Amino acid sequence: MKLARPGRDARLPAPGRPTADPVHRPVTPGGVGRLVIRFARKSGTPLLALYALVLGAVLGLGSADWATRGGYPFGGVRIGAWTAWPRAGALTADPYTRAVNARRGEVPLAVGEGLLLTAAEDDEGRTLDAACTYSVAGAVPPARAWTLTVAGRGPRDPARPHIRDGFTSTEILRQQNGRFVIVVAPEVEAGNWLPSPRAEGPMRLALRLYDTPAAANAASLDRGAVPSITRKGCAP
Amino acid sequence: MRLRLVYATLTGLVLAGIVHVAAILAIPRLAETDAVSRARSSESLDHPQAIYAVATGDAPAPQEVWLPIPDPAVAVGVCAYDLSDGPMRVSARTGSLALSLAAHGRQGAFYAVTDQAAVRGALDLVILTRAQYDQALADDDDNEPSRDVRIVAPEGRGFVVVRVIAGLPSQREAANAAVKAVSCTTDAPADEPNKPAGR
Repeated sequence: MKLARPGRDARLPAPGRPTADPVHRPVTPGGVGRLVIRFARKSGTPLLALYALVLGAVLGLGSADWATRGGYPFGGVRIGAWTAWPRAGALTADPYTRAVNARRGEVPLAVGEGLLLTAAEDDEGRTLDAACTYSVAGAVPPARAWTLTVAGRGPRDPARPHIRDGFTSTEILRQQNGRFVIVVAPEVEAGNWLPSPRAEGPMRLALRLYDTPAAANAASLDRGAVPSITRKGCAP
Repeated sequence: MRLRLVYATLTGLVLAGIVHVAAILAIPRLAETDAVSRARSSESLDHPQAIYAVATGDAPAPQEVWLPIPDPAVAVGVCAYDLSDGPMRVSARTGSLALSLAAHGRQGAFYAVTDQAAVRGALDLVILTRAQYDQALADDDDNEPSRDVRIVAPEGRGFVVVRVIAGLPSQREAANAAVKAVSCTTDAPADEPNKPAGR
């Protein structure tokens, strides 16, 4: 109770300190902070301790949940429009990657097994949109087999006919020099057509390299080694 | 009073940092939906449990998939192991399709091998603890060297992932069958009961 006393005493000259209030009012975001301050003044130390504990628990758990909810927060290697995740399945993965894997029940590719690359943006940094037509062209790093799939960001539209989710390196049509062009589009295209999963909204591409030496040194890959993603146009 | 509130807020923020770090480190241990826990139901099987069978002509991809973004061209199976029952032996016969085996623990994958490492069309992987490894070394017959690939696991529980790539839609059935054809058996400590009598 004694600890609460100074608080009460401080409250007594309160009518005399309206000048002090505007100083801290802009600091607190909105009325919540003001309410907390008024509430804390009325009671004393126990409430402040409770406030600190609740703040710690809510912010700590909330931020941990936020950091491990979606994809891997870090550990990616940026190569052009693609991000490689060489350490996602390794013993040396960072704790966040491990937590994400555990929460999603993911079985990541091990270093000796393959390498996962994802792309959520095109070469110019615009988010991949299912309403747009993209050409994914070029070459991939040396690998025994690879697959390129449309993945993530919400479920497939059940109303659209399910033709294919992706291409493998075996079934793709290539140019004479070994390079290829895959067209990701909502409407039928000639050549390697990969249908968009839904009419609109963001989408993501996943390129998986199997049995590849690139997994061990993903940082040494350069832009020319991965396919470019170019936007060709968008449906109105 | 305002100073004390600032102190309390700072204390709260420091606590939040500690809670955040503790939660991140605790999630892999406490998770019930992670791959190691989910794979446990395959422990009693002697072949991999198919966790992702690629879609074939009539059969669509199964619904009970727990892989978040599976590769539609790769059949995946898991074999869980518990090394307290004895070493785990994974045997695969290589075929025309690319096959890879990866051993995972709770911390992540600790070993991976593809069928290109196979000796005479066979890939034999034995996962054991350090003590079982020493035992296996001691039991080795000098005249008949073992062709097993012996891997020491960092912890007692985990799983082996079998991945078979179907390059063409017509190979998908074969890929699903190739996953099932791998055998995962617990090496019975057959000679161990005899050991005390022998010595």
